[in-house]
Amino acid sequence: MNPNRIWQVLRKDLQLGPRSPIVLWALVVPVVMTVLVRGVFGDLFGAEPALGLVDEGRSQLTAEAQALPGVAVHLHDDAERLRAEVTDGAYDAGLVLPAGFDDAVRSGELPPLELWLAGDSVPADRAVLTASVIDLVRGLADAQAPVSVDVVELGEATLPLDLRLLPLLVLYAVAIPGGFVPAASLVEEKERGTLHALLASPASMGEVLVAKAALGILLGLLAGTVTLALNDAFGAQPLAVMLALTLGAVMMAEIGLLLGAWAQDTNTLFAAWKAGGIILFLPAVVFIWPGLPSWPAYALPSYYFLQPAFAVSVEGATLADVAVTLGLGAAICLALLPVVAAAGRWLTVHLAAGRAEPASAPQPAEV
Amino acid sequence: MAVTDEPALRADDLHYAYGDRVAVDGVSLSVSRGEILGLLGPNGAGKSTTIKMLIGLLPPAAGRIEVLGMPMPQQRMQIQARIGVVFEEKNLYPNLSGRENLAFFARLFGLADVDLDALLERVGLGTRGRDRVSGYSKGMRQRLTVARALVNRPDVLFLDEPTDGLDPVSARSIRALIRAEAERGVAVLLTTHDMYEADALSDRVAFINEGRILALDAPERLKLTHGQRSVRVRRQVGDTVEETVVALDGEELRALIGRDGLLTIHTEEATLEDVFVDFAGRGLE
Repeated sequence: MNPNRIWQVLRKDLQLGPRSPIVLWALVVPVVMTVLVRGVFGDLFGAEPALGLVDEGRSQLTAEAQALPGVAVHLHDDAERLRAEVTDGAYDAGLVLPAGFDDAVRSGELPPLELWLAGDSVPADRAVLTASVIDLVRGLADAQAPVSVDVVELGEATLPLDLRLLPLLVLYAVAIPGGFVPAASLVEEKERGTLHALLASPASMGEVLVAKAALGILLGLLAGTVTLALNDAFGAQPLAVMLALTLGAVMMAEIGLLLGAWAQDTNTLFAAWKAGGIILFLPAVVFIWPGLPSWPAYALPSYYFLQPAFAVSVEGATLADVAVTLGLGAAICLALLPVVAAAGRWLTVHLAAGRAEPASAPQPAEV
Repeated sequence: MAVTDEPALRADDLHYAYGDRVAVDGVSLSVSRGEILGLLGPNGAGKSTTIKMLIGLLPPAAGRIEVLGMPMPQQRMQIQARIGVVFEEKNLYPNLSGRENLAFFARLFGLADVDLDALLERVGLGTRGRDRVSGYSKGMRQRLTVARALVNRPDVLFLDEPTDGLDPVSARSIRALIRAEAERGVAVLLTTHDMYEADALSDRVAFINEGRILALDAPERLKLTHGQRSVRVRRQVGDTVEETVVALDGEELRALIGRDGLLTIHTEEATLEDVFVDFAGRGLE
């Protein structure tokens, strides 16, 4: 393996990218899909967590809450109405500050305080709002003072549709540029005969495949990152989300190379992608309809980067929470490596033999 | 540079089969530095399969290949750094310019100081080098593939139908370029089914059919040895001109010359195709 030759093939593919309809399609469609989904089902570019607040005694906390960065505070007069609106999902959380609350806290009492959380609020928003409220209350006394906040969930516990569609968007963003583009690039090289020219130069099949994989990983990461950014879905641990995304891009690039090595022409590739895509995209369905049994998704490789990405970005999970799933995903990527290498060897022999004879010719003998 | 005795390319007893069908059956040949060897045969004769083995795309099922003193495929990458290949297909990147195509391959060879403009000029693409290949004619693409094969100043050139699809003027310029490379000391293996091209370019030609080399010698010697030289005789017979082709050394010729009304006598040399038919019992198409 010569890094310079790998870089030269990758550089050529990157140079061709903006001139390729397939690459442009692969990069533009995820963005368009995100804008459509967020525009139709949710708030475009992600709204701040909303806190409904009733202040029954001119609490100092009200002004401090309004000054919180990244939290939208809406003042209400009526506690019952606020509760109803939180139940309906109009706000992510609701808080009622009773009269004399500030004095009670300062005197060392633990006055009861309920934080109502909407059932369909996002876990990451819940975490932000709960932590913010506790910090505000602590600020009234001293930072170490015990604080009592009862969290009450109101309404049906479900995620909004735009968030449940997030795995589908991420999968699309990673799979098309990360998997389909390297596959199509490899098939194009076969169809045009340029792969012959490459292999007659000092470049090896291994170097060509690594360059194509790098192309897929770069594009998959780019499209996945843009999709997550548009959905404001990096969660509390962006590095963990990026790790899952990287794993997904590597996995899709490997699957793309297998498909590209196997498919004889672009038509076959498209047909195979359509058929295989249904299987590849199945895990996303489990997230859209959480009531469905999730076990079929476990059998599919894409689940092992989608689930961690979703758990961290939407459900507020940490890297430790998803480490096992990510580990399984990494194991799948490693297991695919020798399969890709074998596909490369198979392609080297069959490519030369196939070009030498008509398509109906028998396969080459043992060589 | 004259043809040397030093073989740049040597193949011994090469075999390859596609399933049960034998494509190459014991091919042996050698090409010296400065020599042009034409591999002549009809479609499906085993020319392309032989070339693919020689350039390292197909591992031979049996036999031995040595290029520039190095065994193929054991030293494939070292060999490929010093050879140039023109494929039968115009395998270029259509969305890159001609110059970008050449620059990419120059970088693959690790060469940063190739004068690409001079190379484009050599193949008559000097003014079109910055245009995308998608806008090139078939002939321009073919000339660009020849330029690509020369990008690393190869010691051995493999040319598969290098003038296929070219107009006569372009074909002549490509033949001149191939000859110039041979004079520089490059060993050239040229596969073609164009007997005129093989005759015009090659120092030696090898006839291949059904995977076997049927004959290998200088074109002139093959034509003299195996082709039947003939004479075209035109006579005035009454109001018409009668034209007869007879063997040069036969009784029939003597009889024709002795008759009245003799107008012209033209000797006709056998073509390589005639020789091939003599060997294979079939034509080159």
